[in-house]
Amino acid sequence: MDHAHDHHDEASKPTDVRERLFLPELLHGLAISTRKFLRNLFGERDPNPQVVDRTGLSLVTTVQYPDEKPIYPPGYRGLHRLVPREDGKPRCVACYMCATICPAQCIYIEAGEYSDDDHATESRVIEKYPTQFVIDELRCVVCGLCVDACPKDAIRMDTYKHTPAEYTRQGFVYDIPRLLRGPPVTHPSDPWYKRGSSEEPDHVHKEAHTRIGEGLVPLKLPGGHRVEVDTSNPVAVTKFIK
Amino acid sequence: MRLRWNVIIGSLTIIPGLLFGGVATGYLLGGLADKHLFVGAHHLVNVVLLLLVFVMVIATALTLAERKWSAMMQNRIGPNRARLPFLENSALSGVPHVITDVLKLLTKEAFIPKDASKLLFNLAPMLAFAPVFALFAIVPAGPTVNVFGFDIEMVAANPDFGLLYLFGIASLAVYGTSLAGWSSNNKFALLGGVRASSQMISYEVALGLGLVGMMIAFSTVQLGGPAGMSDLQSHYLPGWSTYLGPIDVGVPQWGFLLQPAGFILFFAAAFAETKRAPFDVPEGESEIIGYFVEYSGMQFGLFMIAEFVEVVVLSGVLIAIFFGGPYLPFGNLWLKSLFGPDWQWLYGSILGTVFWLKVVLLCYLQLAIRWTFPRFRYDQIQTLGWKILLPIGLANVFISGALILWDPSLKALAIAGGIEILVLVALTLTPTPAKSRADAHIGHHGPVDEHGHGADHALPAGHH
Ligand code: SF4
Ligand code: SF4
Repeated sequence: MDHAHDHHDEASKPTDVRERLFLPELLHGLAISTRKFLRNLFGERDPNPQVVDRTGLSLVTTVQYPDEKPIYPPGYRGLHRLVPREDGKPRCVACYMCATICPAQCIYIEAGEYSDDDHATESRVIEKYPTQFVIDELRCVVCGLCVDACPKDAIRMDTYKHTPAEYTRQGFVYDIPRLLRGPPVTHPSDPWYKRGSSEEPDHVHKEAHTRIGEGLVPLKLPGGHRVEVDTSNPVAVTKFIK
Repeated sequence: MRLRWNVIIGSLTIIPGLLFGGVATGYLLGGLADKHLFVGAHHLVNVVLLLLVFVMVIATALTLAERKWSAMMQNRIGPNRARLPFLENSALSGVPHVITDVLKLLTKEAFIPKDASKLLFNLAPMLAFAPVFALFAIVPAGPTVNVFGFDIEMVAANPDFGLLYLFGIASLAVYGTSLAGWSSNNKFALLGGVRASSQMISYEVALGLGLVGMMIAFSTVQLGGPAGMSDLQSHYLPGWSTYLGPIDVGVPQWGFLLQPAGFILFFAAAFAETKRAPFDVPEGESEIIGYFVEYSGMQFGLFMIAEFVEVVVLSGVLIAIFFGGPYLPFGNLWLKSLFGPDWQWLYGSILGTVFWLKVVLLCYLQLAIRWTFPRFRYDQIQTLGWKILLPIGLANVFISGALILWDPSLKALAIAGGIEILVLVALTLTPTPAKSRADAHIGHHGPVDEHGHGADHALPAGHH
């Protein structure tokens, strides 16, 4: 008995009588089509945008886009946003890191200076801010390098939205009013926790920074109230290597 | 489990309701026409009602159904973006798309390519469209009943040469196709036209042979009328019927039971003549686009709608010849006795509705076939026509003829047909051994073998 020979024959043979007769196999095919037809015609479609989790009779995998939006996976690089501080101003310090690294050269920044007599706590310790911050989303290649480059966590792509369609090219050029949105972000390492004013140098307060990060010193939040840091769990700390 | 009750209830009430209303209107109008005009005037009503209303409306609905039903078979939703201005929140199952399609086709420029043969170019769509329509004239869409004292036939014309008319007119449709292909002055269109004519020639033989068995069995080529194929199928095989209370039951002499092979032959051949997948090489969207590649606007629309009219007409013809016409498989006598002499039109309307429901079912079958089977290659089409269908057709004619000669009551024919159907069903329902063999191979050669023979089989062939 020659097994290898058998195998070869079966692969090349037009198999058995059902397949050579056409009709039974054609009827099988029709049965599959009809089963799907009936299930999809009479079963209510589950509009769950997570298609694999859909239940019920209907097998339809369509997501009706403008009415139903698919959920993007975690880490999806969506439309940019400029992260606001608690007081609503951008965290951005106009350092040009993102504009420099951007391979598409689609970020344009003009820097301005906070005046010395600015009374907001946050602004008092920061020197620069963007007066113009423009991203041409049409030229952006969505590489995410700007987010990685930013030393101040001031630009993020965590909107979980892709760039919406526009009627003109100019519509894709996003400026500060359109970019500055989303929840504000605060880090223990933010300069206004480390020093009272821009006159005090940063390194003097390095220890304080670390102690806040480890939960030894309570966080000072704008608005005056203090928050006790829970030390039982590890605290999410963003440390910037300088 | 959530069901779309609106669709379920809608399709169970609206479709039969509309059909019933249409058929009842036909019988009553026919009766009135006979009463007030002249005897036989109901045929004029039937021309308008059956050809222009029923066939045309169903064909138009099929243009949508083709897209919507194929979507359902492929787990999609299908067209649902066209909305009516005052019903913007409801897609209405895509029905507004029919309106937008018609608007688009009517308002587009009818472009005639340079160097095209203008007369033939303009003639071709009409030649493709008209014969298909004319085919339905001989298909009886309901029983002959007495309305207002006149016998009303639900058929546009009832010539005694019925099936011969069918063959004659059906062959005419290809003129439109090949003329369109030739007159467009386009190589792809010409290829499509040539393919269409060669396909028609290959399948014309099988088309005729498929019906010969039925002609022998019923000794007629007429479709309508009391001696026509359609009405003969309402009778039971002699001796094979009984009464269950008031309801008559038995084995009806439906063409499908007497001539399953003939049905398959005729269906395959007629399907090839409608030029729809899997026999759509004349169109072949993905390779040559086809004989209508140069047509635009409503001229293209005519080709398009002709294809769907063909689907409806083929369903009607198949039902009249093989699926008992308008009749139910049993209980026809009981149904007739339910209605008094003045209410016979109700009996007719119910059976007329049954006829159109069968048409819708067969249309579904044809659409399902089109969306299930891949296109045959050109040589496969010729092989199927000449080497498979033709011999089967010849054998079927001889076997059926012999059986009818031996037993003129058609019972032997019915038994032979029943056996053919049973064999087909058995073959379809038993699992293909090729598949189980393949599974076994995976088991034997796979890394884990539950049967403990893995080591044995893993040895090279020479070690056995
Ligand atoms: S994602 Fe990449 S291309 Fe887009 S702005 Fe950022 S750095 Fe530039
Ligand atoms: S977004 Fe970040 S990297 Fe870009 S200029 Fe502002 S602070 Fe610098």
